[in-house]
Amino acid sequence: MSTATMTLKLKIWRQADNTSKGSMKEYDLPGVSPDMSFLEMLDLLNENLVNSGNDPVAFDHDCREGICGMCSLMINGEAHGPQKLTTTCQLHMRSFKDGDTVVIEPFRAKAFPVHKDLMVDRSAFDEIIAAGGFISMNAGNAPDGNAIPIGKETADLAMDAAACIGCGACVASCENASAMLFTSAKLSQLALLPQGKAEAAERAQKMVKKMDELGFGNCTNAAECEASCPKGIELSNIARMNREFFKSSLSK
Amino acid sequence: MSKLDSKVPSGKLQDKWEQYKFDMKLINPANKRKFNVIVVGTGLAGASAASTMAELGYNVQSFCIQDSPRRAHSIAAQGGINAAKNYPNDGDSVWRLFYDTIKGGDYRSREANVYRLAQVANNIIDQCVAQGVPFAREYGGYLANRSFGGAQVSRTFYARGQTGQQLLLGAYSSMMRMVAAGKIKLYTRREMTELVVINGQARGIVVRNILTGELETYHADAVILATGGYGNTYYLSTNAMASNSSGAWQAYKKGAMFANACFTQIHPTCIPVHGDNQSKLTLMSESLRNDGRVWVPKKQGDTRKPNDIPESERDYYLERIYPSFGNLVPRDVASRNAKTQVDAGRGVGSTGVAVYLDFADAIKRDGEDTIRGRYGNLFEMYQRITDESPYNTPMRIYPAVHYTMGGLWVDYNLMSTIPGLHVLGEANFSDHGANRLGASALMQGLADGYFVIPYTIGNYFASNMIDQSITTDHPAYKDALQNTKNRLTGLLNTKGSQSVESIHKKLGKLMWEHVGMSRNAASLEEGIKKIQSLREEFQQDVNVPGSDKGVNTELEKAIRVSDFLEIGELMARDALTRNESCGGHFRDEYQTEENEAKRDDENFTHVAAWEYTGDNKEPVRNVENLEFENVKLTTRSYK
Amino acid sequence: MASNTCSTGICGYLCSSIGKKQLMGVTAFLLIGFLKTHLLGNLLILGGRDLFNDYAHKLISLGNILIVAEVILLAIFLIHLFLAIALVWQNKKARPVKYHSKKRTGRGATFASDTMPYTGVVILVFIVLHLLNFKYGTYYEYELNGVIVRDLYQTVIEYFSNPLYTAWYVIAMIVMGIHLSHGVQSAFQSVGFRHARYTPIIKKIGCALSAGLTIGFSALSIYGYYISTIN
Repeated sequence: MSTATMTLKLKIWRQADNTSKGSMKEYDLPGVSPDMSFLEMLDLLNENLVNSGNDPVAFDHDCREGICGMCSLMINGEAHGPQKLTTTCQLHMRSFKDGDTVVIEPFRAKAFPVHKDLMVDRSAFDEIIAAGGFISMNAGNAPDGNAIPIGKETADLAMDAAACIGCGACVASCENASAMLFTSAKLSQLALLPQGKAEAAERAQKMVKKMDELGFGNCTNAAECEASCPKGIELSNIARMNREFFKSSLSK
Repeated sequence: MSKLDSKVPSGKLQDKWEQYKFDMKLINPANKRKFNVIVVGTGLAGASAASTMAELGYNVQSFCIQDSPRRAHSIAAQGGINAAKNYPNDGDSVWRLFYDTIKGGDYRSREANVYRLAQVANNIIDQCVAQGVPFAREYGGYLANRSFGGAQVSRTFYARGQTGQQLLLGAYSSMMRMVAAGKIKLYTRREMTELVVINGQARGIVVRNILTGELETYHADAVILATGGYGNTYYLSTNAMASNSSGAWQAYKKGAMFANACFTQIHPTCIPVHGDNQSKLTLMSESLRNDGRVWVPKKQGDTRKPNDIPESERDYYLERIYPSFGNLVPRDVASRNAKTQVDAGRGVGSTGVAVYLDFADAIKRDGEDTIRGRYGNLFEMYQRITDESPYNTPMRIYPAVHYTMGGLWVDYNLMSTIPGLHVLGEANFSDHGANRLGASALMQGLADGYFVIPYTIGNYFASNMIDQSITTDHPAYKDALQNTKNRLTGLLNTKGSQSVESIHKKLGKLMWEHVGMSRNAASLEEGIKKIQSLREEFQQDVNVPGSDKGVNTELEKAIRVSDFLEIGELMARDALTRNESCGGHFRDEYQTEENEAKRDDENFTHVAAWEYTGDNKEPVRNVENLEFENVKLTTRSYK
Repeated sequence: MASNTCSTGICGYLCSSIGKKQLMGVTAFLLIGFLKTHLLGNLLILGGRDLFNDYAHKLISLGNILIVAEVILLAIFLIHLFLAIALVWQNKKARPVKYHSKKRTGRGATFASDTMPYTGVVILVFIVLHLLNFKYGTYYEYELNGVIVRDLYQTVIEYFSNPLYTAWYVIAMIVMGIHLSHGVQSAFQSVGFRHARYTPIIKKIGCALSAGLTIGFSALSIYGYYISTIN
């Protein structure tokens, strides 16, 4: 625990609403403790802004323990900041030094329009899930949980893919604003499990088509998504989606 | 006679639900599409209820505060979900799950509800597996189980440390399927501000659109609240930032009774508070107590580094006081003891408000790799937050508010005292009594949503006259809209000097001090007065900048905090009138000679349900007596 | 792009993001295959004027077969080119507002992956010039075993006698190597081949292949320059 505080120069994207033009604004923020989380640092800034009669910076956040996927932010040009496998809410200010300039921008993509300041609309992800990211079964249909054994390895792979929190860092960090890592994670999870195989082809077709329609870019296999994913979702999921999509194109 | 009719069906406990399902009136499939239901909240309870009712054919309107239903705070649950599958062949049964849950709740919940919960728990596991939830499996491909506090069998199903996430995403995917099918209309970034009651029936809601600031009205034939708990009354808790209870509280003000408000769960193993700017607390899984040893220095105000304190000067107080359970005593006991040590000046860390959880012995015994295998991800999380490595230096932990067992009173149908208003999940009071066992919250949320409400809502529609000619043009909507408008204008026009956040922090401190881990009459009375004066301070001096147009996060917080300021008082009032100690409610005056909770079964084997009588008026305490026909009330002992 | 209008089936596949990527990958494999044979053929320069001209003459004598092969090669190349244009266009559109500050994490994208469109343009320019300089370059005649054939050897040596041309050729080959160093592994990923054990090997093979092609072609150009200086 350190007691010395830092002063930071913040450059933050401010935009009144989704129709206004935004710009970068600078703020000096003293009194930042290294033990604060990045979002607590923004809380401090907002407390100062409110007390001086200014409009606080709008940003998305909720659980603050790295699982809800609500927090976002490009911090000094990196999605969720410089620390690997870490969401913005779990990033702590000890990753910064006194006097540092910190550039904070919203996640940017055509499919993620800005609502206000750093708050963006990621409902495109919900649309991708609605297109096919499910197993069509009604409550009450299910056989016993142990009726179909699933090998541990398969279950683990499905869990690896299912760990996605839907934060959008993959889209934000991709040079092409592609949503392939997100889409492929859900598609992989369900394609791996026997329960999901029945409608795997249908699902691959519908999810990919929806993803394309929404205006996400294409994958150039550069792997920035994997590198900035706070949950370590792997590129192998995209490869699996590529296979699944090819197979489904032959049958559909 | 009590105003509270639990509507528990007659018959043998084991047959009640089956018989009741048969006795309930049904709505034929063609007619289901004529009924509309509003569901507020998209956590485990809300999402599962919305998807299941939509699958049945009802038209559902679903509301959530976040940008997507997938963000609801159920997502943060780590440990697992209980069910009496008895896959490990270790003697589990529906009856045992029922018994453990009712005992864990310190005999303050309704037998029939808890039994039904235990019955449908198995269906939940099947349902989730079929949805593609990747539960942990053994090498043979069968589902894995682990043990959890408060049970002697292994009945907890889990998906790594992210069970809540996986279950929620399962329910969310079912829900999105119904959104695509047009059976659910999804409204995100909406916050409920008012319940609309027409002809004595809950028929609609007013919500504030967080993006535009506009107030919107929605109408239906029934309203379901699945809005979670009120733990954020304490400011610091393990709840998410947006978790609030305004929806439930506004329903209370329209006549839904609020039950057992004082039953809050304080989780013993959280990362302690580091400073005034802290916004939330992070839970560390309870499983850490399997290998960690809890201790404090024997000397008061000892500022030496933990590793410099010799063995003889350490007090492993849980092992000393509870030789048979040691570090594995239940949550409430562990929490209270930590507080006792800190209050006696033996707390550790720079704030002095923490105790050590030490893994040195476990590492010496099993090796660092084994410990890494068990807790590696938790240690990493701890290090990320505190910058200290639990491999070299003991963890600092302290209890934090985690879950609220109290909530809106509901009957066996999960309907509140307002006809048509149903309440699910943490928002209701129903199944956990005075203390919730680990891995039971997920079970209850999904039981309510997948397997209870889809039946009871049909019975409600079939057995009540619901005037379907009403629309949002009804004057009740205009009144409700005006109410909200007045409230918002009041908040915006106060233009005082204190931020919402700073008042919320003050409330949190008051709550922690007076309605925290242990309570007593004098302190509660003082607390009530202080909360009342803080509420006045808020009304006269809060500063909410901006306008009611567009995004205004300060205004959002102000609405929530104004409700917390009222809930806080009710919690204190409920605690003050419950003259006993039970589960998460510990009254200093009511303890055994060994400082353990002392229940008063003769006078308090009941649910206290509070009835709103008007602003700044004392609410009325109603009582639902709890009948125990199948279990014998015993005293918990962990010595 | 047309991706919105197509539905399922082959049309849907070709219009989809993944279909386009996979076709990019497949055409890339074919083009790399061509490059390898091209390099092997070119190595015959080391065998002297007769051997190289004999090889060139045999190819030319294939007549219609050669034309068909060239048309197919051109088609593959054009598909690769037009898909690239379509994808770059689509990708640019996907982020209309740029970041004020954006940095590579260092754990994913590389210089090669970031510059694919640019290295691609350089290669395109190179290929056009390459065809003009050699295939459609100065036509010398040469008598080989009593037959008059094209003296392509002469055209090549003459070209590389200019050190600037040789330098440009080497630079273009380095650019091509950069393009391929990302392209090979990327093509495998696009067609869906990724494996914990084999992908790292593929990456290494991809880099070795790109380096091999770059070194091979560059070495021959420098050899050409060397020959021109001793004559």
